[in-house]
Amino acid sequence: MSEAANGAERELDLGWMDRTGPWETRAEPGKYGLTIADISIGDYGDAPEVSDNLTGRARGAAARPASYRIGAYAVRSKNEIWLDNASFLYEEALQRQWSSATDVPWHTIEPLPDDVEQAECQLATFLTEVEFVAGDVPARWVSLTTPDFYEPRQVLLAQVMDESRHMDVFRKRALANGGGLMQATGATSGFVGSIDLSRDFTEMSSRLHVSGEGAVLTLFRMGELMAQNEAEKVIYRLCAQDEARHVAFGVMHLRYMSETAPERREEIHCYLDEAEGGLIGAANPVGQLTPTSESMAIILGGGKENFDDGMNKIIAIRRRQLQEYRKRVISAGFGERFENGRSRVAQMIEEAA
Amino acid sequence: MALFPSVDWFDEVRNVFNADDRYRGAGGGYCNCVAGFRIAEKVFVLTFDGFECSAAAEGDDGTLDDVDFYLEMPAEAWRDMVANIAANDGADLHHTLNTLDLDREDGLATSKHGDQVREDLFFRYNQTLQFFFDASALVETEFP
Repeated sequence: MSEAANGAERELDLGWMDRTGPWETRAEPGKYGLTIADISIGDYGDAPEVSDNLTGRARGAAARPASYRIGAYAVRSKNEIWLDNASFLYEEALQRQWSSATDVPWHTIEPLPDDVEQAECQLATFLTEVEFVAGDVPARWVSLTTPDFYEPRQVLLAQVMDESRHMDVFRKRALANGGGLMQATGATSGFVGSIDLSRDFTEMSSRLHVSGEGAVLTLFRMGELMAQNEAEKVIYRLCAQDEARHVAFGVMHLRYMSETAPERREEIHCYLDEAEGGLIGAANPVGQLTPTSESMAIILGGGKENFDDGMNKIIAIRRRQLQEYRKRVISAGFGERFENGRSRVAQMIEEAA
Repeated sequence: MALFPSVDWFDEVRNVFNADDRYRGAGGGYCNCVAGFRIAEKVFVLTFDGFECSAAAEGDDGTLDDVDFYLEMPAEAWRDMVANIAANDGADLHHTLNTLDLDREDGLATSKHGDQVREDLFFRYNQTLQFFFDASALVETEFP
């Protein structure tokens, strides 16, 4: 019996106290604090192979029989999205966040020659476009994934935050030094945009995380060569760190898929066939001569007059991009494509030599 | 005064790095990897565990089999980098680890196992590794 605000007595219904998930759970902080790996204990740590959870029920919570379906979850088989180190990647993502407002020494940016500033702004315009896709696509897949697989969902949500920051930091760079955004490059209407047409999570991940973000990771790393000041160095270095996490997600997911669903290997090779097409397409500024690659060559060469020097550096970037891609695919368990002639990457590396 | 390269030198840098909370933010923090360094004929191994660099040890060529990645450049290039950091209170634009990696045909970071996921830890934790070496600006260093 309890007294309501108006003084009337009311009966308490404490039935909810009997309807819990597993009880007497005592997760303890480990060396790195209380991580989601630390709370993956007992039944709470078990993600089902196939989820029948369509109601947004938190994994391990007692079901509410009368609840209606709130999610049209397309991803309900564990091997469609799982990876072994999702908990770790999520905690790492949280711990290694940075602020584009305060962690970039913006005061170190100084006026540049007009052609170099225009090239910087063109590249920043391209990267802002690309990062829109990189944020939008995983966000959509989060909503399509059952809450029972919350660990990879959390990583994707962290990725959306990362990509959001990348979008804003390149926009800030374009607007920070007397220039502005340049003409839209159309990057989002080619291979990059087509990532969002994927009908399967692994298809999306092989295109976005392994091929696309792997290529962008190399670009970001090369950004330190393009940087004209400490601010740009920091921007590219910190973006590369984030991107490397996203790439790790994709490679580790492919590895898990390869080990647990070998019947899908041929299908995944088809995704990789398409992904490799993206590496030589116009969406990759070191893959073809585009306005973005021209701008990169001007930055790398130090001006229009040194365009050829810049292009030579771009070719070196392209070689590294392809070599790193090949090694990641091997690490994911699909290296036979480089032995049996299916992949053109080895030939592309030779052409870039 | 600590001699570079030596375990004593790495330990002194570890002490500076582990004691400064600034290295846990701004893109640093939470780092788990075992990194090797081949400096002239010597091999050193640093263990990064969470927020700290928990160990520095000297090893040999075989030790490099087990590290996630290792950085290798000629002794004079290492010396140049450490001296640059000391002179500028942190690496200048031409002496960051990533720039040195890019400046070399075969890169600065490599591994014996060839697993790109583990090699990618050099990129994933690059700011932490840079913070670590930048912390050496506070260590009085002598060269052989």
